[in-house]
Amino acid sequence: MVRRTRRAVVILYRLENIVHKRLALFAVAALPLAAVAAPETFSFDPLHTSANFAIDHLGLSTIHGRFDKFNGKVTFDPAAKTGSVDFVVDTASVDTNDRDKGSRPRSRDEHLRSADFFSAAEFPTMTYKSTQVVYTGDTPTKIEGNLTLLGVTKPVTLTIDRFRCNSATASAKERCGGDASGKIKRSDFGMKRGIPAIGDDVTLTFGFEGDKE
Amino acid sequence: MSDLLNHPAFQGAVAPFIVALIVASALGRTRFAWLAILPAYATMVALDTGFTLTPLTASRRSWLIALLAPLVGVAADSYRRSSRRVAPALAGAAALVSLWVFWTLIGNREGWRSAAVGAGIAIYFAALVAAVLRLRDDGLRCGAAGLGLGIAVGIAGIVSASIGALVAGAALAAASGAMLVVQIALARTIAPGYTGALPIGMIAALIAVGAQQLAELPWYALLLMLLVPLAASLPVPRPEVRFARAAVLSLLALVAATLPIAAAWYAARGAPS
Repeated sequence: MVRRTRRAVVILYRLENIVHKRLALFAVAALPLAAVAAPETFSFDPLHTSANFAIDHLGLSTIHGRFDKFNGKVTFDPAAKTGSVDFVVDTASVDTNDRDKGSRPRSRDEHLRSADFFSAAEFPTMTYKSTQVVYTGDTPTKIEGNLTLLGVTKPVTLTIDRFRCNSATASAKERCGGDASGKIKRSDFGMKRGIPAIGDDVTLTFGFEGDKE
Repeated sequence: MSDLLNHPAFQGAVAPFIVALIVASALGRTRFAWLAILPAYATMVALDTGFTLTPLTASRRSWLIALLAPLVGVAADSYRRSSRRVAPALAGAAALVSLWVFWTLIGNREGWRSAAVGAGIAIYFAALVAAVLRLRDDGLRCGAAGLGLGIAVGIAGIVSASIGALVAGAALAAASGAMLVVQIALARTIAPGYTGALPIGMIAALIAVGAQQLAELPWYALLLMLLVPLAASLPVPRPEVRFARAAVLSLLALVAATLPIAAAWYAARGAPS
């Protein structure tokens, strides 16, 4: 009886060892996968990132503008096909290449900062937060998210027109970049001044680069 | 038709003037004639931005208060028009309401700057509203002050990069001008009471502070606007011809209005873009 019990204990002990070893082996084998699957975070490089917009003027031409101050982060995980984009724009930094007001009392950029358009004193920032990043294969191709402008939040989809990463080298971190674009109706956000002489449809374009953190 | 409705001159001047003229003519024999300011201003809001209230921005709070002011004026006239306490109480209430209207802008500043801006706005509202309320027994003086203030905040507003201020100021000037025309046409002076004087003071203060906070109007232009109701209260001969008296008072108010406009122009010329 005692022998049988000892034998059973030994068998159980061996089984436990085998299970532990296998689990340990499985965990070791899974480590590289986990490392690959970890989401990668990139901070926008302001020197190589731009937030731009284009809008119709009198049906004659397209006025192009940009925001000089912004910051944000991108994370993406190609293995899990997930990611996120957070982008904060300083609305007072709007720039439509109209710095010299000449004989006019105010420049176009000053007007854009007023309550007629961006109301920068009341709404100093415009934000974009993604809700989903859509992949085609291993490449992110679409960002679905919410744009908050003038206190109004609306869903806006950005198409990633191009996305590429350069591998890290001895002298540089891994770097990714791309171009994204989308369209909004500014009246949806309560910015109605000047419609239709100044278009309602606004094209947003972003060029972005960032180093892996 | 769409081009006409979208034109700032129609939205701010023509449409509010016609509406004020019709309503004031219809109510000309009653004590509610100065209520015409309400539909006139509402017409401007409807054509310019619409009545959306969300999100409740400073601009939207501004027109909401502008539209409520005549009704508060009617209540004040109905309650105790002769009491000396009503005018100071309304000026004080205007000061408190101004803090609510511009709360987000005051809150966007830090520390003592927030308190200083809030106090400055409240004191300015109390001062301008009190200055206009002093004219509440004289329809021609009050109309002239409204005309001058509307033109002052409108032109100073556009010089300070705000078309919204121009359109709103034009609506105030148009409604006040219509009240002058109706008084001349009916050959009787219609005392505005609080019904007319309160909205004129409130609307002028709302547009002026809005242009200063949300556009580029310099703070000292706000102080110069206080001279407009003071100019409209200057002693003038009382000729039998109402038109002449209205013209002289309007001229005085308009001369005073050139000062804040000049200040806004001076600031614009000197400021970097």
